[in-house]
Amino acid sequence: MPIRGKAVMYFAGVDIGSTMTKVVMIGEAGDVVSAIKGPTGPEYRRLANEVMQRALEQARLDIEQVSYIVATGYGRLKVPFADRQITELSCHARGVSSLFPTVRTAIDIGGQDAKCMKIRDGKLVTFVMNDKCAAGTGRFLEVTAATLNIKLEDMGELSLKATKKIQISNLCTIFAQQEVVALLSRGERVEDILAGLHEALASRVAALARRLNIEPDLVLTGGVAKNIGIVRAMKENLGCEILVPDEPLLTGALGAALLAREAYMKATASGEKLPTKQRRLERATFFG
Amino acid sequence: MSDKNKGLSRAREIYLNRSQRARELKAAGRRIIGYPCVYVPVEMLTALDIVPFQTCGEMKEPISEASRVLPSSFCPVMRSCLDCALKGKHDFLDGMATIHSSDPQEKTARIWQSYTNYPYFHFIDMPITVRPEALEYFRNQLSDFGKTLGAFAGRNLSTSNLAAAIRSHNRQRGLVRELFELTKSSPPRISGTEIVQVVRALTSLPVLEGNDLSAEVIAEVRSRTNGPERKSGRLLIWGSTVDDAEVMQVLEANANVVVNESCGGLRAYRGEVKLGNDLLGGLASYYLREITCARTFRQAVLGETKKDYARDLQSRFGYLQRMIKEWRINGVIMLLVRYCDPFAFEMPSLKDYLDSLGIPSTYIEYDYTAGSLAPLRTRVEAFVETLG
Repeated sequence: MPIRGKAVMYFAGVDIGSTMTKVVMIGEAGDVVSAIKGPTGPEYRRLANEVMQRALEQARLDIEQVSYIVATGYGRLKVPFADRQITELSCHARGVSSLFPTVRTAIDIGGQDAKCMKIRDGKLVTFVMNDKCAAGTGRFLEVTAATLNIKLEDMGELSLKATKKIQISNLCTIFAQQEVVALLSRGERVEDILAGLHEALASRVAALARRLNIEPDLVLTGGVAKNIGIVRAMKENLGCEILVPDEPLLTGALGAALLAREAYMKATASGEKLPTKQRRLERATFFG
Repeated sequence: MSDKNKGLSRAREIYLNRSQRARELKAAGRRIIGYPCVYVPVEMLTALDIVPFQTCGEMKEPISEASRVLPSSFCPVMRSCLDCALKGKHDFLDGMATIHSSDPQEKTARIWQSYTNYPYFHFIDMPITVRPEALEYFRNQLSDFGKTLGAFAGRNLSTSNLAAAIRSHNRQRGLVRELFELTKSSPPRISGTEIVQVVRALTSLPVLEGNDLSAEVIAEVRSRTNGPERKSGRLLIWGSTVDDAEVMQVLEANANVVVNESCGGLRAYRGEVKLGNDLLGGLASYYLREITCARTFRQAVLGETKKDYARDLQSRFGYLQRMIKEWRINGVIMLLVRYCDPFAFEMPSLKDYLDSLGIPSTYIEYDYTAGSLAPLRTRVEAFVETLG
């Protein structure tokens, strides 16, 4: 996502996911002026401030210069400086559409959930999400990476060296972890186990996505989209090409920023003044 | 009106402490009989001067005791309801009247009887179709229920008392319908959350006290100026049970819930029991035919479900079309409590029907725990955002 020049008005999208907090700031023409990621952690209200501060520093802006701020994601309700909250589904749909105008289906696999969205004319039409379970989410990969004692970011490349795809019968994260231990004790190669894990995750998410009528272009986002093994397995499961943005973690925050801009411009055009929160990065306490 | 002993404030107080009034009545010598489902004809209890008390689950209470006797892959509402009973939260009850309104209700009835020590227990075997022979069977079941209730109360169920009780409960139904009339405006004059609190309060009070409360609420709502704000969605919630104010608050996060078509809302109050020569027949007909829960099998023409799907859908869900028009609904949420199979099976057909009407709808499942509220909120808000 390129960072371009300066504008008079600026807008921000803050996406507090279960694992990562992301901020994207744009100018009045929709040009990205800063994009920052940081871990969410338990004190997400404090960390939202920190990530926002870093985004402002990157853009060399002061928070008073930001006209409108939209918060999204799992922690959207607890961003003290956000003017409005919009769900991550609408924000992802908007963000993905800005990068891939021909998108009709988007799948976002985050740290805690997986969501599949149908998009038309840049807007969310319908969606499905996984239930309250870590299977089919980034958490599934985190747990199994720890069990295999490999880095999360190395999983994808390693899986490409598989010589066979081992069937992982358990989609439950906890039971899959036990199954991985059993496979290791049986002498199976890590690469082959990884290929099996990716297949297990991809088949679960694909089954979820098929509840919607999948139409191309299909875009995959979220932290899990950085895993080349998952992208490949998803492609095989869905039987179609998959587009992945350069920064698949940032589409929600980008969409939030774009929706902030649109809401502000629309209100301004009709002479309305949108209510905004105090432009101060106050240090909110966890219990506040 | 800020008087805690009146109207909405009183309803909220009773909702938050549902058993308090029942305990007071018990201390004053009244008999209280619990019932877990709106299919139990409460008129028969009222007619014998017994206070009906609907036993509910508590979403925030972790289920522990019920896990000893019920599997985890089982209706969480019934598990929670039984859990409360096993923890002694319903120790003021003199008995339980249970009914085969769903398989979990039937299976739990036996456990309820075995693991609690109420002096009275009765199970009503309710048929699942609306055929004439089913109606006759159900009427006979109600006759048996009347006999065991009479034996427990020490007097017979008289026609005049039953007719009076039916009138009182019909009045209650009329008052709840009036409450929902107040959601037809935009913004609605009463929120879905407030209605949940009122309806839950009604199911824990003697009918006449409940009717006074409803009348107070209606008068208060009509005269107040600080009602709910207008939101972009005007939603109809269709599901088994939406009887928790926190769930309703989540459903109303960015929308107005104007119809709660669940047994915690309008469903049990839409019709009226007909007063004729055969009062038990009237009760049987009302409970079997008029309450449109997914547990009852209906078809347009006997044996013709496949031949004319559109007609079949119309006969099953036509009442929703009328609601959508009258309340100017712009979105329907099919809210499923996990493992509620009767509603889950009904859902694909209802989705087809709503699609045929051009009404946006979504299906959301939750597991009746406090932890399910945040994911529920995201799904509800996202759906309302798609309504524009």
